[in-house]
Amino acid sequence: MAAYRAQWKGFLKFGEVSFGVALYTASSTSERIAFNTINKATGNRVNRIFVDSETDDPVPREAQTKGFEIENGQYIMIDPEEVAATIPESNKTLEVDAFIPCAEVDDVYFDKPYYLTPDRIGADAFTALRDGMKKAKVAAIARTVLFRRIRTVLVQPHGKGLIATTLNFDYEVRSSAKAFEEMPKIKIKGEMLDLAKHIIGTKKGKFNPAEFEDRYELAVAELVKAKIEGRALPKKKPVKVSEPKDLLKALRESAGMLGGGTDKPKRAAANANAGLGREKASRVSPKSATAATPRRKAS
Amino acid sequence: MAPRPYWKGYLKLSLVTCPVAMTPATSESEKVRFHTLNKETGNRVISQYVDSITGKRVKEENEAKGYARGENDYVILTDDDLDAVALDTVKTIDIGTFVPAESIEWVYLEKPHYLMPDDPVGQEAFAVIRDAMAADKVVGVSKLVVGRRERAVVLEPRGEGIVLWTLRFGNEVRPEESYFEDIDEKSDPELAPLVQQLIKQKTKTWSPTMVSDPIQESLLAIIEQKRKALRPKRATKGKKDETPPASNVVNIMDALRKSVEANLKSRREQRR
Repeated sequence: MAAYRAQWKGFLKFGEVSFGVALYTASSTSERIAFNTINKATGNRVNRIFVDSETDDPVPREAQTKGFEIENGQYIMIDPEEVAATIPESNKTLEVDAFIPCAEVDDVYFDKPYYLTPDRIGADAFTALRDGMKKAKVAAIARTVLFRRIRTVLVQPHGKGLIATTLNFDYEVRSSAKAFEEMPKIKIKGEMLDLAKHIIGTKKGKFNPAEFEDRYELAVAELVKAKIEGRALPKKKPVKVSEPKDLLKALRESAGMLGGGTDKPKRAAANANAGLGREKASRVSPKSATAATPRRKAS
Repeated sequence: MAPRPYWKGYLKLSLVTCPVAMTPATSESEKVRFHTLNKETGNRVISQYVDSITGKRVKEENEAKGYARGENDYVILTDDDLDAVALDTVKTIDIGTFVPAESIEWVYLEKPHYLMPDDPVGQEAFAVIRDAMAADKVVGVSKLVVGRRERAVVLEPRGEGIVLWTLRFGNEVRPEESYFEDIDEKSDPELAPLVQQLIKQKTKTWSPTMVSDPIQESLLAIIEQKRKALRPKRATKGKKDETPPASNVVNIMDALRKSVEANLKSRREQRR
């Protein structure tokens, strides 16, 4: 395969040890289905122009500058050069500030992963650091000027290499504790928990994200076809929500129909049948439990 | 303030279904963002659509999404049309598979979201799914249409809620082998004790201060300087206001943050 170009080259420094490294993008963004913006009145495509919000006159690129809104409608003009001047000169060094236990890493901060590789001379220090981190079960926190910002990256051992993940800034992340703080504290115990665990047991399987396929574009093409042919678009069936009083029953029915021959918890045959009749989509035998996983690529 | 949910739908395990709401765990709303201004007038520069053939301005209500059927021939799709796309994964997260909690490679993790019940009626059903996953140390695998793509998603119980990760597609993650193939599998055992010692010395607990953004602080300082320059000079000139005490810097930073927040709020309200 074609060799990719390094996104960044510099040094990794821990303690007084410093060695040459390169970062390679580990992920890219593939295209999603694109729609064109159309003028409904004429059916023509549209172009975008830039105009003054007050005078409505077109503004040429050379007359455009940056501004920050301080109060409603009041702006402070800032020269792009002034913005550029806030970026310190890069020393090209990812300096490890700290090691943190892997268990403490909050992955909600993860931004983008990069493969981190050593240059030839740095190979010994690289492998020593990699194996040391593996053994101590820690990840390294390092900072440097990356992509015109001072970015923090989390460096973790990954196979023979290291992966450096850029982290989102503190003000970009809402903690899960905060997000969930107003939720009522409900703990499920007893039969309900056992039934749910049983259902999960019947659906345990393998999953390889690399094999997942996006069906959206195809579904939109179908939709367009239906629209062109003047067919009625399918109406969505209303979803039946499990109310608290029906929850235990729904769990029993699910466990009953999924249980098959294995360790089924007390199930009433009548209930199981009712379940089958009511919900065709969930008719999953233990053998085909993984059939509900995303479609595999035909290889 | 909690952000408004950006997706609402249903969470489903077999016959158990509950209404849920989802919000992204990350947001750019606190980031200092610049607008484009017209140097000559100081006004905002906004983008405007013009008809590619007639050259006339296009009214907002006439903007529509078009699916290219042929050259210069488009089928117009409304949001209602798109909602009717024949995929259950537009509105329902049906958990089809469970896998061990640590088995999803994290290079695939794309974007985290917080999932919670959207109606008191579903709180218990939500808790059943969450607690059973936690008790079994598994995460759920499902699929969901997000941003015009059907994505694989992973659901992970956390605290009272569930973290939902959208996953990258196979063709979005580059194979690691080609990068790591030249690296030795073994390391020099003589270096190991020293590395361990160093790691031990430098091991700290995680803190969000490790992901501060000094450049944002500098930008805020520049903005504040300019804002001061804008203000009309007061009569009590020449007293002490030329050299503000250094201890004020922190307070100014706080005040700035507040003003950025207030400013964002007013912008949000404007948008409504």
